[in-house]
Amino acid sequence: MDERPISPILKILAAVGFLFLLAPVLIVVPLSFSGEVFMAFPPESWSLRWYAAIAENEKMLAAFLFSLKLATAVTAVNLFVAVPAAYALVRLAPRGGDAMMGFFTAPLLLPSIVLGLAMLIVFSRAGLLATPQGMFVAHLVVTLPYTLRVIATALSTLPIAVEEAAATLGASPVTVFRRVTLPMMVPGMIAAGSLSFLVSFDEVVLSLFMSGPRLSTLPVEMYNHVENRADPLVAAVSVLLVVFTLVAVVVVDRSLGLAKTFVR
Amino acid sequence: MMHQAPTDMTVAAAGPRAGQGYLSLQGLTKRYHDFLAVEAIDLDVAQGEFVALLGPSGCGKTTTLRMIAGLVPTSGGRIVVAGQDLTAVPPHKRDMGLVFQSYALFPHMTIAQNVAFGLEMRRLPRMEIAARVAEAVAMVRLEGREDRRPAQLSGGQQQRVALARALVVRPSILLFDEPLSNLDAKLREEMRSEIREIQQRLGTTALFVTHDQDEALTMSDRIVVMSHGRIEQIGRPEDLYERPATPFVARFVGRTNRFTGNAHGTTIRLGDLAVRAATQRSGPVEVMIRPHRVALAAAGCVPADGLNSVTGIVRRTTYSGDFVQYLVDADGLTFMVEEATVGHGRIAPAGTAVTLTWAPADTLVYEAAP
Repeated sequence: MDERPISPILKILAAVGFLFLLAPVLIVVPLSFSGEVFMAFPPESWSLRWYAAIAENEKMLAAFLFSLKLATAVTAVNLFVAVPAAYALVRLAPRGGDAMMGFFTAPLLLPSIVLGLAMLIVFSRAGLLATPQGMFVAHLVVTLPYTLRVIATALSTLPIAVEEAAATLGASPVTVFRRVTLPMMVPGMIAAGSLSFLVSFDEVVLSLFMSGPRLSTLPVEMYNHVENRADPLVAAVSVLLVVFTLVAVVVVDRSLGLAKTFVR
Repeated sequence: MMHQAPTDMTVAAAGPRAGQGYLSLQGLTKRYHDFLAVEAIDLDVAQGEFVALLGPSGCGKTTTLRMIAGLVPTSGGRIVVAGQDLTAVPPHKRDMGLVFQSYALFPHMTIAQNVAFGLEMRRLPRMEIAARVAEAVAMVRLEGREDRRPAQLSGGQQQRVALARALVVRPSILLFDEPLSNLDAKLREEMRSEIREIQQRLGTTALFVTHDQDEALTMSDRIVVMSHGRIEQIGRPEDLYERPATPFVARFVGRTNRFTGNAHGTTIRLGDLAVRAATQRSGPVEVMIRPHRVALAAAGCVPADGLNSVTGIVRRTTYSGDFVQYLVDADGLTFMVEEATVGHGRIAPAGTAVTLTWAPADTLVYEAAP
């Protein structure tokens, strides 16, 4: 962020990079205001009809609501499990802690298609397919490694002397955790929480395996929709999602500082 | 505890008798697997005393301090404060204040909240907490900064907050773990006298870990020199400096000339030279002479009776403001000599023929290391 002059070549490279990243948005936004019945770029006429259509598509709305609830619940349980787990692994450093960390983060190494297939076999026997519970467990499995990893990293960078200082000042171990460790972990928890929310909200492969006619997540519903019909409805949904994400990012940034959350 | 002390070093180190101190370490030991970090340390500190633990890194001084604070479990021995055995007491019930090298302030709290933390843990009434926080903040001259966060203060200010935070609970013992190492030289000197003055005013018992001999010499009532997990010498700063009990102390505290030679009674042969000491020895010895104890005169001066006298040529002269350091070649040995600069005293340039003299009592003799 200092005031060094930026070479023109770097500027061009940056512009190309941004263009590449933003290209989907540049296509999707005009498409969502299309007045046509088919997806075609550029649209020949303009309207807001596909935004209106979302409101009438009950399946899409239900899927959106379910995705929202699922991601929220998954994130809450993630933090509830990962904070104590990370504390135990990092601070108490038990024998075999590294192996445990490796085991907990192993799902990251497996292709989701393999995970999905395995879950399909197990869940169908347990009668968990196409149930909110099954979906929840599946999402928990893929998000927990991220949460645990991020929180453990955040925790291991916290200076232990601060906690020791609190102890010498008369704080019991529980008080040290509550008054000192936990507040210092907040940025890491926000980062981990955002990540698990996004991973859950975005998850397609596992959700495809777990969903059924009565239950699907927003990405799955969008996928189904595109498979059956080629209208620009999903473009309108996508634009709403982008706006929704932007608002969330701005809110988090204004209240806590995103830079502080992700860059340590 | 003091091994192979030369005879004129019998001046007892001031301090409480063994086991009678306000803080008493009795056979304190720390073992990490096969490594003995601290080996059966005995130390007694009187109430209100300021004692420095001095030694090179890895000598066990910080481990000792952390055992006293309860942050590191002991492997053996006892820690007694005011007659109470604290060896098995967890850190939050020890009532000690610890000031860290890294300040270790709570980053998410304001200065006032940092200072108030220990008082809140003691469940004092709100009014009293406010009053004592204000008093402590004033004591370290940080009035008006109560609502800032630690990150908004300079290093010196942060360390003063840490000091206030530790002092405000009126701890039984104040422990310092190299608190000045992260500060620049000028600030370090200011903080030295500030810490010392506050400690004396409050009469708090203090233990101060440092690897900086100047810090230890200028701040302490007594200094404990440690090496390889053991105590080399306990004594007042002047005892340590003038009468180091071991070669290690002589080398670590202050500058010194080191020679090896052979002793026959009070005469010691250093190569072609024969010098006298005040102590009787025989066999191979290590000899130390403080550079500021050696006087330098023009060659040919007749030395006073009984003084050691050596003639030589000045090889190098280094002027450093308050003193001049000479390297003098004499009979195959090189002597370091330091003279205080007095007004426009003349300075002998390199090449000058000189006579060096010093008293036999200033020839410190130690058994040669095997």
